[in-house]
Amino acid sequence: MSGLTQSLRFGPAAVACASLTLAAALAWLLVAPNFAAPAAPGYDAARMVLLYSTLPRLATALIAGAALSLAGALFQLVLRNPLASPTTLGISAGANLALVITLLAFPALLGFGRDLVALAGSAAAAAIVMGLGARRGFSPLSLVLSGLVISLWCGALAAVLTFLNDRYLVSLFIWGAGSLAQQSWDIPLSLLWKVAVLALLCGAIVRPLALLELGDGSAAALGVRFAYLRFFAIAIAVSLSALVTSAVGVIGFIGLVAPIVARLSGARRVGDILIWSSLIGAALLLCADVSVQLLAGAFSDFLPTGAVTAIFGTPVLLFLLRRLKMRHRVIAAPFAGLRRKLPAGRAAVLVLVAMLAAIAIAMLCGRNPDGTWQWLGGPALAELLPLRLPRVMAALASGAMLAVAGVLLQRLTGNEMASPEVLGISAGATFGLSISLFAVAASGIWVQLGFAASGAFAVLAVILAFALRAQLAPERVLLAGIALSAMVDALVGAVASTGDPRALTLLRWMSGSTYGVSAGTAMALSLAALLLVAPALLSRRWLDLLPLGPSSAASLGVPLKSARLALSCLAGLLSAVATLGVGPLSFVGLMAPHLAREAGLTRALPQMAGAALLGGALMVLADWLGRTVLFPYQIPAGLMSALVGAPFLMLLLFRKSRTTQVL
Amino acid sequence: MRADCFPPFDPSRRVLLGGLLGGLPAAALLRAVPTSAQGAPRVVSLDYGLASTLLALGIVPAGVSDLAGWDKWVVSPSMPAGVVDLGTSTEPNLEILKALKPDFILATPYLDAQIPRLQEFGRVLRLQTFRYEGTPILQAVTAATRSLAGELGRLPQAELFLSGAEAFFDDCRARLAPVSAPPVALVNFMDARHVRIYGNPGLFHDVLERIGLSNAWTEQSSDWGLQTIAIEELSRITDPHARLIAFDPVPPDVLPKLARSPLWRSLPVARPGHFHVLAPALMFGMVNEAMRFAGLVTQALEREA
Repeated sequence: MSGLTQSLRFGPAAVACASLTLAAALAWLLVAPNFAAPAAPGYDAARMVLLYSTLPRLATALIAGAALSLAGALFQLVLRNPLASPTTLGISAGANLALVITLLAFPALLGFGRDLVALAGSAAAAAIVMGLGARRGFSPLSLVLSGLVISLWCGALAAVLTFLNDRYLVSLFIWGAGSLAQQSWDIPLSLLWKVAVLALLCGAIVRPLALLELGDGSAAALGVRFAYLRFFAIAIAVSLSALVTSAVGVIGFIGLVAPIVARLSGARRVGDILIWSSLIGAALLLCADVSVQLLAGAFSDFLPTGAVTAIFGTPVLLFLLRRLKMRHRVIAAPFAGLRRKLPAGRAAVLVLVAMLAAIAIAMLCGRNPDGTWQWLGGPALAELLPLRLPRVMAALASGAMLAVAGVLLQRLTGNEMASPEVLGISAGATFGLSISLFAVAASGIWVQLGFAASGAFAVLAVILAFALRAQLAPERVLLAGIALSAMVDALVGAVASTGDPRALTLLRWMSGSTYGVSAGTAMALSLAALLLVAPALLSRRWLDLLPLGPSSAASLGVPLKSARLALSCLAGLLSAVATLGVGPLSFVGLMAPHLAREAGLTRALPQMAGAALLGGALMVLADWLGRTVLFPYQIPAGLMSALVGAPFLMLLLFRKSRTTQVL
Repeated sequence: MRADCFPPFDPSRRVLLGGLLGGLPAAALLRAVPTSAQGAPRVVSLDYGLASTLLALGIVPAGVSDLAGWDKWVVSPSMPAGVVDLGTSTEPNLEILKALKPDFILATPYLDAQIPRLQEFGRVLRLQTFRYEGTPILQAVTAATRSLAGELGRLPQAELFLSGAEAFFDDCRARLAPVSAPPVALVNFMDARHVRIYGNPGLFHDVLERIGLSNAWTEQSSDWGLQTIAIEELSRITDPHARLIAFDPVPPDVLPKLARSPLWRSLPVARPGHFHVLAPALMFGMVNEAMRFAGLVTQALEREA
C-alpha cells in the first residue's frame, strides 16, 4: 500500500456516495420505463420481469460486487499487496475450473454441492498461489504473477473441456464469462445470507487486523497470532470469492479496483477500508452491469458482465503498475547445490537421448483408422511421414524457442514464474486472429497468419515501449503482458458466449494446435529457431550475471540497460514466432528451464541448451499424446502440454520450496 | 472413450489395417470395402447435414466428422456401422483421410480455413448450408442437395428425396391446418438462466413457415441463425397463444431450477401445455434435419390438440 503514493482529495464516504448515486441513476434509467407504463390487467410481462429478473439482477450485482471487493480488500490487507484480488490471485479461476469439471463429469453433484465445489477449487488455487508466494516473502509481484499464471492455466483447462465438447457447449463460456442474469430471487437471497455471515466474521477480526498493519513484529509483541490471523482472513476472502463464482461465474477485476479506489480516496483504517471497499465495489459492479444491459439493449446482443468488467479492469491494473514501487528481487538461493545432481556431461547426454526418443515415438508410433496402435515401417512410413514430420518439426522448434525465451525471462527477472506464455505476445496474436476472423470475409490461412503475426508484433512493440518507460524493470513488463492476456481472454469469452461458431477457430488457435502446420511453415519455424536461439546462447555471460541483482551485475561489467533491452527483445521475438507455431498456452517456456535446472544444468549456457532440447521434446511428446490419446479426436499440443506439464511444475516448485526452507 | 464407434470385427477396417501393416498397396484392398460398391464414389463428410444428405442419396459415407456425437445431435437417420469417425470437423484426422483415400470431401463455408489443406486428400466440395448468405436457408440447403447430387451423379435420387421432403412438409402442413396452429418459439437451453433461440434467417424458421406455422420470436438472429438470450427476455414474446419448444439435450439442473422461478412459471410460453421439450433436432443441418424438425413439431402440436 505504501506504493500508492498519491491519494485523491475526497473522503471515501464521498466517493462511495457518488458512485452509489451514479449506479442508482443508471439503474433508474433501466427500471423507469416499467413504472411509466400503466399496469396491465392479469398477466403483466413487464411487471414480472421487473420483479423477478431486473430487481434480483440489481441485487445480485450489489451483493456480488460488495463480496468480491471485501475479498479483495482482505487480500490486499493481509498480504500487504496492492495488486491482490480474487482475479489476480487466480481464486475465481480456480473456482470456475472446479465447477466446469464437475458440470461435465458429475452433473448431479452440482445440485447441492455447487458452493462446496467452487470452494474446493478456489481453496486449491489459493493454496498453490500462497504456497509459491510464501517462498518469496509474499513479494507483491511474485504473488500476482503466480496467481495470474494459475488463472491462465485454469482458463486453458476450461477451454480444452469446451473444445472436446465442440460447438454446442457454449454455456460454459457464458458462465465462465460471468453473467448476472436472474429469473428469481433464489440466487441473490442465498448469496446474501452467506455473504452476510462471512462479513460478520470479517468484522470480528478488524481490530487484530489493524494491529497487523503495525507490522509483524509489533503485532506479535501485542499478542496477535499473526499466522492464524492471516490464515483466517484469507479463508474468509477465498470463501467470498468462491460463493460469488458459484452463483454467477467469474466477474473480473471488481475485487481489485474497488479497494484501490477506497484507499486512493483516503480510507486508511482497516475498518474504513473494508466498509468503503465493499460499498464502492457494489456500486461499481452495479454500474457495469446496468451499462451492459443498456448497451446490450442497443445492440441486441448478448454481453456477459464479467467479460466486460475484465476488459475495463485491465487498464486499471496497467495504470497501477506504473505507480507501484518496485524492488528488484535477487534470486533467494542459488538453484544449484540443494540436491545431488548429475555431472553436467551426463545430464546433457540424458537430455539429448530424451529428445531423440520423443522424436522417434512421435514419428513412428500412431494409430490406425480403427483405433489400434501401429508402428510404422515400409511403404506406410512413406505415406504418413509427410503428415507427421511438419507437426513434429513445428513442435520441436516452437518448444525449443519457448524454452529459451523462458530461460531468458527467468534470468532477467529473477522470477521463477516468468515465462513467454505470460508476456502478452500470444494475446496480441489471438487478438489479431479475431480481427481477421470477424472483419475479413472468408479469411484464408495466410490472411489469418498475417493478422496474428501483426498482432503479436504490435504487442511486442507496446511492451518494449512500456518497458523502456518503466526503466526496464522486467517484472513490470511481465505483469503488463499478463494483464493484456487476461483482457484478450475476456474478449474471446465474450465472443464465444454469443454462440458464433467462429469463436471455435479462435479457441483452436489459443489451444495451440500444430494441425495446420504445412511443410513450409515447419521449415520456416525451424529456421527461425536456429537464427534466434544462437544469439541467446551467445549472451550467456549476461545471463549468468544478471540473476545476481542489478548492482552486482553492473559492477561486474554488464551494461544493464542495453543488456535488458536486447534480451527482452530477443525473448519477445522468440515467443512471437513460437506462438504462431503452437499457440499461447503451452507453459513449456515455464517448465523447460526448471527441468533443465533439475537435471543439473545450472549455468546459463548449459541450462539454455538443455532447456531448448527438453522444451522441444516436451512439445513433441505433447503433440504426439494429443494426436493419439483420444484418437481420432485430437487435443491441441499447447493444451496437452499445459495440462500435463503445469501440475508437474507445481509439484517441482513445492518440493523445492521445502528443501529451501530446511536449509 | 470413442472406441464404441468402431465395431471390433468390422471386416472393412480389418482389411484396411492389414493393408497398412503389411505395406500392401492400400488402394487395391480398399476396393473390397463395401462402401465403394460399383460406381459409388468414396465420400467423406465434415458436416452432419451433408452426411445425412449422403445417406438420403443412397451413398454410405466412408467417414464422418464428430461421429461420436451423431446420436446425440442428429439421431436419425442412424449412421450405418462401419463408417469411420474422422475426429472434429475443424481438425479432421489427416492420417485417416489419407488411409480412406476419398474421392470427395464435403465441407461447408464454416471450414473455409481448412479447405486448402484438405484439397491434398481428395476433391473438396464446398456447399452452402446453415450460414445465411442472402438466400433463405431451406432454399439454400435444397439447392446444396441438388448440387451435391449433381457432383456425385445422383440427381435422380436427389429429386426423389426432395420431392419426398416436399410431400412430407405438405403433409405436416395439412395435419396442422385443423389445429389452429399457434406461433412457436424454438430454443436450446444453455443453462438455467440462458437459452439459444432460433430466429430468421435460419433453417428452423424457414421450415416453420413451410409447414404453415409462424415463429414467435420475431427478432433478427445472427447469420448463423441463432441468438443467445437470458430467459427473462422470453417475455418479449407477446402472443398469448405462443408455444415454447425446447430441444434435448437439456442440462439436468435446468428444469428443477426453473420450476422455482416465479418469472419462468408466469411466462405465458412456459405454462403447462404451452411448453414442450422435444427430442434433439439439429439446427445446423439440411433437408433431413428439416424434416425431422418438422415431424417433431407437428407431432407435438397435434398431440396437444
